[in-house]
Amino acid sequence: MLLEVSNLKVCYDKAVLINDLSMHVEAGELVSLVGPNGAGKTTLLRAITGLVAWEKMTQRGTALGDITLKGSINFEGKSIVKAPAHEIVKMGLVHCPERRRPFREMSVLENLHAGAYLHGDKQQMEQDLDTVYQLFPVLGKRSKQVSGTLSGGEQQMLAVGRALMSRPKLLCIDEPSTGLAPLMRTEVFKRIEAIRELGITILLVEQEVATVFKMASRNYVLSSGKIIAQGKGQELLEDEVIRKTYLGL
Amino acid sequence: MLLDIIIDGLIKGSVYALLAIGFSLVLGVARIINIAHTALYMTAAYLIYMGTKLMGLPAPVAMLASIVLTVILGLLIYNFFIRPIQEHEAAVLIATIAVAMMIQEVFLMTFGGHYLGVSPLVEGYATIMGVKVTYQHLLALGLALVILVGVRLFLLKTRLGLAIRSTAQDREVANLMGMNVTRVAMGTMGVSVGLAAITGAIVVPLVTVEPTMWMHPLIMMLAIVVLGGLGSIEGSFVGAYILGFAESLVVFLLPMGAFLKDSVALSIMILVLLIRPDGLFGVSFEEER
Repeated sequence: MLLEVSNLKVCYDKAVLINDLSMHVEAGELVSLVGPNGAGKTTLLRAITGLVAWEKMTQRGTALGDITLKGSINFEGKSIVKAPAHEIVKMGLVHCPERRRPFREMSVLENLHAGAYLHGDKQQMEQDLDTVYQLFPVLGKRSKQVSGTLSGGEQQMLAVGRALMSRPKLLCIDEPSTGLAPLMRTEVFKRIEAIRELGITILLVEQEVATVFKMASRNYVLSSGKIIAQGKGQELLEDEVIRKTYLGL
Repeated sequence: MLLDIIIDGLIKGSVYALLAIGFSLVLGVARIINIAHTALYMTAAYLIYMGTKLMGLPAPVAMLASIVLTVILGLLIYNFFIRPIQEHEAAVLIATIAVAMMIQEVFLMTFGGHYLGVSPLVEGYATIMGVKVTYQHLLALGLALVILVGVRLFLLKTRLGLAIRSTAQDREVANLMGMNVTRVAMGTMGVSVGLAAITGAIVVPLVTVEPTMWMHPLIMMLAIVVLGGLGSIEGSFVGAYILGFAESLVVFLLPMGAFLKDSVALSIMILVLLIRPDGLFGVSFEEER
């Protein structure tokens, strides 16, 4: 098992964001995580990739209040629940954050270099850069452009490309289609399938349930910090309660 | 007169640029408003005085030693006074003010309020278009420009430079790329204090060394950073030359202008805050979450 989360609990001060949650991802899968706003999807990704642990370490006693992080998260059999984000990336668990968040004042190429921060080997990096440019030709064309001036879709490509430069075994992508035009969304989803064909396991958080259920090998439905249903897309769609209450279809 | 103003403005501008860029780096990366920044610049100046005048070391040795010692002091201050409270911005601000006062008092108690001086590295002067400019001034200008170019190359070409720029723009995403943000902040602090110390070493033969010599550069530096836009390196660079020349103009053209230079800087700062609070190159800070 590549990633195994069991009995995870995350609280910010008194707010319980993730409550006794267990899930797993096998190597080679594309697993989706869906659910209404505020269900805890992003928090779950943040906990898995060490951002919650990092906040807990650095932001003690600030406005965020006390952070509780309990339960276990194992990646390739190693416990990572207490590890901060910058150590987890090294293991090949990479997080492409919500709202794309490129380094806006830096060029496309510099953003990609930042993604390859941990991989000093020049030759290897050039190869990775080629792979990213093949997946996203537009990034190659605009490599000198300041990333803040890219369109939303291009920024999303950049965010995914930058994450790929970190050489993921498991790539967590948070809401890649949000705020994009329909045509661009289709394009982004196609690229994600192409990444999967490169042999990279993907954990995908999305609102676009209809599309995602067709792509994913398995799905988890999250609500109020708990997993309330899981399975193949078709099974979930056949369940009247889940479809109406949680997926709004 | 015109050439006087140009050369004086260039030197002041370059010196302020070095100070303001160091200050901006730490502000951008670690959100620390380091009021003690110019107190560390003063520390380097005093150390050079001690090295050359009291211990009789050759000037270049004293300069290097003072820079190294100041950087070590800066890192110790960061580690013990600032880091434990780093996420509380108001507390950090107060702590750095306290550190600056402490440094001032230490030098006041050790050397008294005397005006001390360091002899120039090079004697003599050149005559440029009928105006006498000392070699020491030209050397200071040359060194400052070399360091400015060096800082730019460091930020654009090195791995730590990349980490510093990434962290300044988005700490969380930098963390996700494998950058250890705490360590990057430490490195930035080292670079920043290093710049303050180098500036001190460059200007020490041109200024009087006394325990309140950190005040005027501090005021200028804060005005520059507001004018240029908080945390913007380009803004600090451009703002430094604008205020450097403004100061030279006031000092040379107005009677008693030397007494007005701080008020001019502060007036510019207030005007900027009223008209364009983001500064020349300001980017409004985006929420991180």
